[in-house]
Amino acid sequence: MPLSGEATTTRSRGQYSASKLLVSLIFSFGLMYLDHKDQYLNKVRSYISATTYPIYVVTNAPKNIFLNLKETMGQKEKIVIENQRLKTENITLSSKIQQIYKLEKENKRLHDLLDSKPKTEDIFVLAEIVAENPDPFKHRIIINKGSKDNVHVSQTVADSRGIIGHVIRDQIFGSEVLLITDPEHAIPIEVARTGLRSIALGIGSYEKIQLSYLAVNTDIQEGDILLTSGLGGQYPVGYPVAIIDKVSAQKGEPFLEVRAKPFAKLRNINEVWVIQRAVDEAIDFE
Amino acid sequence: MNRQIKNNLFTWAILMISCSLYVVPLPEFLSFFRPPWLSLSVIFFSIMTPAGFGVFSAFFIGLLADVVQGSIFGGHAMALSLIAYLSYRFHLQIRVFPMWQMMLSVLLMLLLNELLVLWIEGIKEQMTFNYIRWLGIVLGALIWPIFMAFLLNLKSKIL
Repeated sequence: MPLSGEATTTRSRGQYSASKLLVSLIFSFGLMYLDHKDQYLNKVRSYISATTYPIYVVTNAPKNIFLNLKETMGQKEKIVIENQRLKTENITLSSKIQQIYKLEKENKRLHDLLDSKPKTEDIFVLAEIVAENPDPFKHRIIINKGSKDNVHVSQTVADSRGIIGHVIRDQIFGSEVLLITDPEHAIPIEVARTGLRSIALGIGSYEKIQLSYLAVNTDIQEGDILLTSGLGGQYPVGYPVAIIDKVSAQKGEPFLEVRAKPFAKLRNINEVWVIQRAVDEAIDFE
Repeated sequence: MNRQIKNNLFTWAILMISCSLYVVPLPEFLSFFRPPWLSLSVIFFSIMTPAGFGVFSAFFIGLLADVVQGSIFGGHAMALSLIAYLSYRFHLQIRVFPMWQMMLSVLLMLLLNELLVLWIEGIKEQMTFNYIRWLGIVLGALIWPIFMAFLLNLKSKIL
């Protein structure tokens, strides 16, 4: 007796499925190879990322709904108080800015006197975090500004307190940011008090970064502020990074153990600035 | 025909939602308990609707997951198409399993998926191995009965 119709179809579907698996595996190996070896696939990724926009909208929906509700339901007095607070803050900030105009002018004049190139202003782009890496040991986030808004690889990302990280991959509607606390991240820093230069490494905790290979007699103490040194050309000069909160010397060890706490709130990031450096400040090391 | 379109729409809507749930920013203490939503949905659709969801669909949603997460291009695609194939291959058996065996097979497939993704990451960069990352997998297998019941219910209500 021949096989019943259903059995035949199931079996042929099964074989069909196996060959589909083979094709998928071959394709994915090819894609992984290309992505690993060279950057051929960035264009493709970029185009696919355009379709991921609805996904980011969905991820942000709860937060946005919550914020909207808070705004509409929020008591009037609270809003009035906040408004007043913001007004006073605005006044103090704008008076500080007046000083900055003066300083900038003076700085430019001095640069002219020295006949060196004046530092041009950085451009800031406001972005929001839309996704994070599901692996809790990878400190990587995705922000909602991409090449459409002129955000490109290696631009610096900061919040109102300090440096957060830099862009490692740009797509059309979003870009991936490596945080300074990721175990694969290192940032060249300078101690504001002494001018000592070093490199701060991420160790996979949102509260700590580490300064390695500082000799025991190094002049460094708790409360020292770390700024970006601008060496390496990756980060702009003079942005706050972290504050030293632990310096300890083990007996018999040639180096100090130095820990610093990042200024930026890396644990729950909301809004960030992407700093786009003016072109002629980029240093050519070759 | 109309029903098939509705079915497909439902499948892809759920896949998109699980893809976004998988990367939604969470507070730090919750980030250790993130079930692998995307792999769960792929297993669900390959077991329950094998006619409308195959290896290639899993491959494409995997590519999307790679882009969304910023991992190596093709890594999740490979892992997901493999577990989609396995769940399809055994879908008739898994469907009639008692619940604990079903959960066990889901756990095995989630583990396989995670191992593949880890292994592929290890090629590219330093692998971060930690036992805490398996919490999400175990949680994923534990919530499988609720997940399955919820999706089946939703499906019968909508379609």
